[in-house]
Amino acid sequence: MLILICLCFPAMVLLCLAMNKHREQVLTQTVPKLMIRFFRPLAWLLLMFTAYLSIELFGWSIGPALLFGALTIAVLLLTLLLTYRAKIVPQLAIVLPFMASLSVVPINF
Amino acid sequence: MKDNFRQSMKWFHTWVGLIVGWILFFMFLTGTLGYFYQEITRWMEPERPFIEHNISNEQLINIAQTYLKKNAQDVDEWDIDLPTARNQNLRVGWRHPPEAGKKRGRYESSVVDIATGEKVESRATGGGRLLYRMHYRLHYLSTKISYWIVGFCSMLMLLAVITGVVIHKKIFTDFFTFRAKKGLPGWLDIHNVLSVIALPFHFMITYSGLLFFLFTYMALSTNLQTNEDEYREMRKEIYPRTPHAQSTNQPAKMIDISVLYQQAKNSWQADELSTIEVFAANDSNAQVRFVRHETDITYNPNDEVLVNAITGEMITHTPREYTAAGIIHNGFFSLHEGQFAGPIARWIYFFTGLIGTAMIASGLILWTTKRKPQQMKKPNGPDFGYRLVEQLNIGTIVGLPIAIAMYFYANRLLPIDMADRVNWEANVMFISWALLLVYPAFRPANKAWHEQLQLAALVYIALPLVNILTTDKHLINSLLQQDWGLAAFDLTLLGVGCCFAFSAYKYKALTVDKKTSRQRVKQDKSVGNEKLLQLQRVSKGNG
Repeated sequence: MLILICLCFPAMVLLCLAMNKHREQVLTQTVPKLMIRFFRPLAWLLLMFTAYLSIELFGWSIGPALLFGALTIAVLLLTLLLTYRAKIVPQLAIVLPFMASLSVVPINF
Repeated sequence: MKDNFRQSMKWFHTWVGLIVGWILFFMFLTGTLGYFYQEITRWMEPERPFIEHNISNEQLINIAQTYLKKNAQDVDEWDIDLPTARNQNLRVGWRHPPEAGKKRGRYESSVVDIATGEKVESRATGGGRLLYRMHYRLHYLSTKISYWIVGFCSMLMLLAVITGVVIHKKIFTDFFTFRAKKGLPGWLDIHNVLSVIALPFHFMITYSGLLFFLFTYMALSTNLQTNEDEYREMRKEIYPRTPHAQSTNQPAKMIDISVLYQQAKNSWQADELSTIEVFAANDSNAQVRFVRHETDITYNPNDEVLVNAITGEMITHTPREYTAAGIIHNGFFSLHEGQFAGPIARWIYFFTGLIGTAMIASGLILWTTKRKPQQMKKPNGPDFGYRLVEQLNIGTIVGLPIAIAMYFYANRLLPIDMADRVNWEANVMFISWALLLVYPAFRPANKAWHEQLQLAALVYIALPLVNILTTDKHLINSLLQQDWGLAAFDLTLLGVGCCFAFSAYKYKALTVDKKTSRQRVKQDKSVGNEKLLQLQRVSKGNG
């Protein structure tokens, strides 16, 4: 379950970086235009992977339900961070999935 | 044309939300607590022992079987509920043979102390179950009337969700946008964010909520189009019953249940037992069913293992046959109640439930915030309608959480041997809610907000302290015993209290800020300003 949140979060960050107004909030340096074009497809790719993972882990019936729950929490976290601590969003987006993949705690939901 | 459509939808959303907003707030908050109803009941029965670590399922089964042998002779069916993450105690239950003229016998259930093997006598309490039943069985009203009220409100909620999506102009461009601004734009953003991020949940919970009393709401259809037999047939389709073993009245010696459990373990390749059902105990036809934690929203036949209790052989039971309609129906029920959810998923359910509650609250506050500037300009002060909405907002949004805390206080402080104790717990809750609904009528709105927020912070932070004074199952002990389920309840109370304290502090800071900025502008002395000055004098006097 935690791994789903940890993967949904960077996907949402990528989606939000694809939008001009949020990119200015989060990043100080300018990003090449070509790279920006890749943000959105990458986000969807990551989201598809997370969906696949949740179905693989929890089955066809529980998987999608938990995915939506994880998305809700990830977007809530991101929205609050954008308003109050926008600068740590990129770091968190990189750290979270690593923590999820390294976690030795057996995945229970 | 398009704008016109959006305008009318907006009008509809505003007024529909206002009419049923407070009842929906009540339904959402008590329903959200329902996700933890077992944990709440556990806290409200402090006589139950702490969690027992390092005890195997086999030992637990033996204790339960010994107890049942001693106390539940001549009963058809035994149930054993093993301690889970939600409910750390061993529980056994059985159904008495039906009395003359009745279809089913009385069901008796008791918590067994693992250390002594004896029954735990708990105080009379409604527990979490009573609290969560309120969200569809509005406490004092009759069943039928509450179902209709709840259905009416849910239907309007569903319409509000749909119209909300229609009138939200920039649902994707503003997906992550939350501007922490004061006044109208801030509240609008809060309302939008809370609605959008949990939209699948809001839709699912409202829609499935309506399905619960399908047969009541579709009365015309069920009464006129189907006859009694067809109706029974339909219910059988949704709730297929598996006939279980009946007793043959030939006593036989059962193999110990803990030994039989090995079969289930082998079949699951894991030690994850949740419930045991024993049919025709100590009879030649005895059977034992082992059930583990659900692994599917609808139904997974492999979650159950049926064993012949005399020979110890596994019985290949025919899985219950659900039709597609039955599966969809039960799937929605399970989604609504989150039956399949483990600890983390349950907390997520809880938080999304709170998001829904907060969404309703922010919508109600939005209504008054939007009308406030205009209403304040009126020479005779704001209209009655506006003041009523403001009063109900304060009394419900902050008042109801306080009232729920009072329900917990009642559990701890009412005399243990009091007559009708269960009802009085609930009475205390509703009396305090009524008082808090009336109170804002006698205070200026922003004073009432601030004072009730302070009160909420006080009652929630003091509750764990009262727990320390009245029972031995308090936070310190539960932490020492590493009983996380119990400790989490007290910690959550403290957390909620701190949230209320923070919002009271923030509210004060914001209103003071507003006043000073207004003073700087130095407007002409209008009636509104005179009122403001009076307020300041009072607040200075208090300070």
